[in-house]
Amino acid sequence: MFIAAALLLFSEPSFGQRVDECLDCHLSLDTPQAIKFKFDVHRKKGLSCADCHGGNKRSDDMDVAMSKSAGFLGVPKTNEISERCGKCHNDEEKMRSYGYTGPTGQYDNLLASVHGEGSTTAGENIAQCTTCHGAHGVRKVSDPKSPVSPLNVVGTCARCHDDPGYMRQYNPSLPTDQLSKYRTSVHGLLHAKKDPKVATCVSCHTAHTIKPPDDATSSIYAENIPTTCGRCHSDPEYMASYHIPTDQVEQYRKSVHGIALLEKHDASAPTCNDCHGNHGAFPPGVESISNVCGTCHALNAELFRKSPHKKVFDERNLPECETCHGNHDIQPATIEMISVEKGGLCARCHSSSSNPKGYKAALAMRSLLDSLVSSYANAERLLDVAEQKGMEVEDERFALRDVNQVRLQARTAVHAFNLAKFHETVDKGLKIAEDTKAAGRAAIDEFYFRRWGLAVATLIITFLVIVLFLYIKKIERKPNTT
Amino acid sequence: MNRLYQWFDERVSLSAFIEFIKHKEVPKHRHSVWYYFGGVTLFLFIVQVFSGILLLFYYRPGADTAFESIKFLMTKVQFGWLIRSIHSWSANLMILAAFIHMFSVYLTKAYRKPREITWITGMLLFFMALAFGFSGYLLPWNELAFFATKVGTDIAGSVPLIGKPLLVLLRGGDNVTGATLSRFFGFHVALFPAIFTVLLGIHLFLVQIQGMSTPLNPKEDKKYDSMPFFPNFVLRDLLLWLIVLNILAVLAVFFPWELGVKADLFASAPAGISPEWYFLFMFQVLKMLPSHVWFIEGEVLGIVLFGIAGALWTVVPFLDKKSSRGQQSRFFTYVGIFAIIFIIVFTIVGWLAS
Repeated sequence: MFIAAALLLFSEPSFGQRVDECLDCHLSLDTPQAIKFKFDVHRKKGLSCADCHGGNKRSDDMDVAMSKSAGFLGVPKTNEISERCGKCHNDEEKMRSYGYTGPTGQYDNLLASVHGEGSTTAGENIAQCTTCHGAHGVRKVSDPKSPVSPLNVVGTCARCHDDPGYMRQYNPSLPTDQLSKYRTSVHGLLHAKKDPKVATCVSCHTAHTIKPPDDATSSIYAENIPTTCGRCHSDPEYMASYHIPTDQVEQYRKSVHGIALLEKHDASAPTCNDCHGNHGAFPPGVESISNVCGTCHALNAELFRKSPHKKVFDERNLPECETCHGNHDIQPATIEMISVEKGGLCARCHSSSSNPKGYKAALAMRSLLDSLVSSYANAERLLDVAEQKGMEVEDERFALRDVNQVRLQARTAVHAFNLAKFHETVDKGLKIAEDTKAAGRAAIDEFYFRRWGLAVATLIITFLVIVLFLYIKKIERKPNTT
Repeated sequence: MNRLYQWFDERVSLSAFIEFIKHKEVPKHRHSVWYYFGGVTLFLFIVQVFSGILLLFYYRPGADTAFESIKFLMTKVQFGWLIRSIHSWSANLMILAAFIHMFSVYLTKAYRKPREITWITGMLLFFMALAFGFSGYLLPWNELAFFATKVGTDIAGSVPLIGKPLLVLLRGGDNVTGATLSRFFGFHVALFPAIFTVLLGIHLFLVQIQGMSTPLNPKEDKKYDSMPFFPNFVLRDLLLWLIVLNILAVLAVFFPWELGVKADLFASAPAGISPEWYFLFMFQVLKMLPSHVWFIEGEVLGIVLFGIAGALWTVVPFLDKKSSRGQQSRFFTYVGIFAIIFIIVFTIVGWLAS
C-alpha cells in the first residue's frame, strides 16, 4: 500500500490525462482569458497556458507555477506575441505532430508582409498574430465563430482598414473605403447573403503574405492579378454555382491588353481590376462601359459620345465599346475592322439597302485608310530603293513616321463616325506620304544624275587624256632641238 | 602682250625663269615612271586644298554642330556630297601616292648626296600628311572617328616621358571632347597647312634646282637619255593627273564617303574600331605585342621601336654612306623591301582582324 501511495504521489500523469493547474486556477477566478481559452483550438490540441506564457502548469502553488525558475515569461508584449506563435507555426514538423495538415511559416510570411514592417513610431509589427486571430479564444478558420472565418474576416480587416484615424498613423494615403466599396460589389453582396465561398479580403490579398500592389511578389501586383482573380474565376467547379463563364482570364491573356501586360510587361496596360474595380468589383454596365474604357481611351470615348452612334446604341441598349471591340478578348484594332463586307464589323448594322448612309461612310473610311496604308508603303519602298542606292534619306524617313502618327489619329477619329472630319485627318497623312514619295523619287533621280554626270565627266577627261597622249606622241616624234 | 611680258620681266626676271625651264631636262630610264608619283602626290594635295576650302564654307566645328553641318552639306548642298567624297578619297589616295613616292625614292637611293635635305623635307611632309589624315578623320564627329581618335590619342599618351602632356595637348583635356574637335580643326586647317606649305616650298624648290636624281651608276660610264621638262615631262605629268582625276571621280561617285552615326560621348565603343588604313599596320603590331616584354610594357616598347624606326628612316641619307659615295648599298635595299613587306602584311592582318 505504501509502495502504491509513493508511486501515485511521485509518478508523472499518464498520456491523455490533462494537468493544467494554470487554467484550473484561473477558471476558478473567472479570469476572462481562461474562460475564452476553454474553447481555444490550442487547448483542444493539449496545449496549456504555460506553453505560451511559460511556468509550471503542474503546480497549484502560484509562487512555484509562476516563478522565473520555472520559466514563467508573463504576458508577452509587442513582437514577442508573434514570435511565440511562430515558434510552433513556423515549425512544420511540430505542427504535423499535432495532426495539423495546413500550411506553416505564417510567422515568416507575416514578417515579410506589409503588416510585418516595423512601425516607425513603436518599432513593432503593425499587426501581430493576435490582431486578427485573437489571443485566448483562437479558433480554426473554418469555425464560423473565428474572426478570420470567411464570413468574419472582412469585419476583422475592417476594424483597422475602415478607421481613417487609425490608418492615418501608418499610411495616410491609403484609402479607408474598402469595406464600403466591398459591400457594393458582387462579392460583397453575396457575402452579405452569408455565401462562404465568395471572395473576401484574404482571397485576393492572402492571409499572411499581404504586400503592397507595387511589389512584384504581391498577389495584387498588376501582372499577378489575372492569376489571383483566376484562382476562383477560372475554376469551373468552384464557380459552377454562380452560373458565369470561367474563360475570362484565358481570353484576357490572349487579348491586346493581356499581351501588353503579361508578355510585354507594359505596366500601363489594364488588368482585371482596372475595368471591374477592385474592392467594388462589378461587371461594367451598358451605361458605364464607355467611361471604363474611356479612362485610358479618353479621346475615343469622347468622340463616340458626340457621334451619331451614341444615340442609336443607347436606344438599342448596346454597350458602347464592347459592341465592336468585345470585352475580355479585345484584339488589336485593325483597319480590317472597318468593313461592310460579310463578317465585317460595320456590316453587322449597315447594308447598302437598309442603312445606305452609314454603309457609304464606312466604305469611304475604309478606302481612305487603305489609301493611307498603301501610300505609306509606297513611300517607304521608294526610300528603301534610294537608300539601297546609297542616297541619304534619313530626314525623309523621319518625316514618314508622321504618317504612322496620322494612322493612329485616324484610328481614333473613326470613333466620331464623321466622314468629313475623318477625311481631314487622313488627308494630312496622305500629304506627308506624297511629299515623302516625291523626296524618294528625287533622291533616286539624283542618284542617276550623279551616275550620268560621272559618265559625262569621265568621257570628257578620257577624251582629254587621249588628246594629250596623242599630242605627247606627236611632239616626241620630232627630233629634240634642245 | 609683249609689253605686259616686258613689264613683268623688268621686275621679276621672267626671262631667267623661262631660260631655266627651257633648259631643264628630265632623265629617261627604266625607273623614270617613279618620278611621276611626286607629281601625283602634289596634284592630290592641290585637290585637297581646293576641296577643303569648299568644305570650310559649310563646316561648323563643335560637338553640337560638326556632324550636323557635314550632314547638311551632304544632303542639302548642291554637289556637297561630291566635294566631301572627293576630299576624303583624295586624302587617302594622296597618302597612298606619298607612300609609293617615298619608297621609290628610297629604293632608287635618290636621297643620297646632294639630296639629303629634299629627303628630310619629304619625310616631314609625309608625317604631316599622316597628321592631316589623323586630324581630319575626327572632324565629321561621327562614332567611328570619335573612338578611333580616342584609341589613337591613347597610344600617343603611352609615349614615354612626354606621353601625358602630349595626350593633353592633342585632346585639349583628359578626354576626347568638343575641345579636341576644336583643336583638331585648328591643326587641320591652319597649323598643318602653314607648316606643310613651307616644307612643300622647300621640297619643290630643291627638286627644281637639283633636278631629278638618276639611279645609282657605280661604273659612271652609263649616260641616260633625257627629255625636256617642258613641255614633255609636264604634259606627261598632266596626263597622269587627268587619269588620277578620273579615278577620283569614279571612287567619289560609286563609293561616296559615308557619314555614319553621330559620336556619343557616353556610348560604349562599337566592335571592330580601327584606325585609317595607313595607321593599321602600326595599330595591329601594337595590338599583337604581349602586355609586357621583359620589364617594359608591350605597347610602350612598340611605340618606342616605331619612333626609332621612323627617325632612322628620316636620317637614312646620313646612314647610307655607300650610296652617297655612288656605291651599291644592298643592306638599305633589303631594309626598304622588308619595310614594304612588313607594312603590307600587317595592314592585311589588321584589316582581316577588324
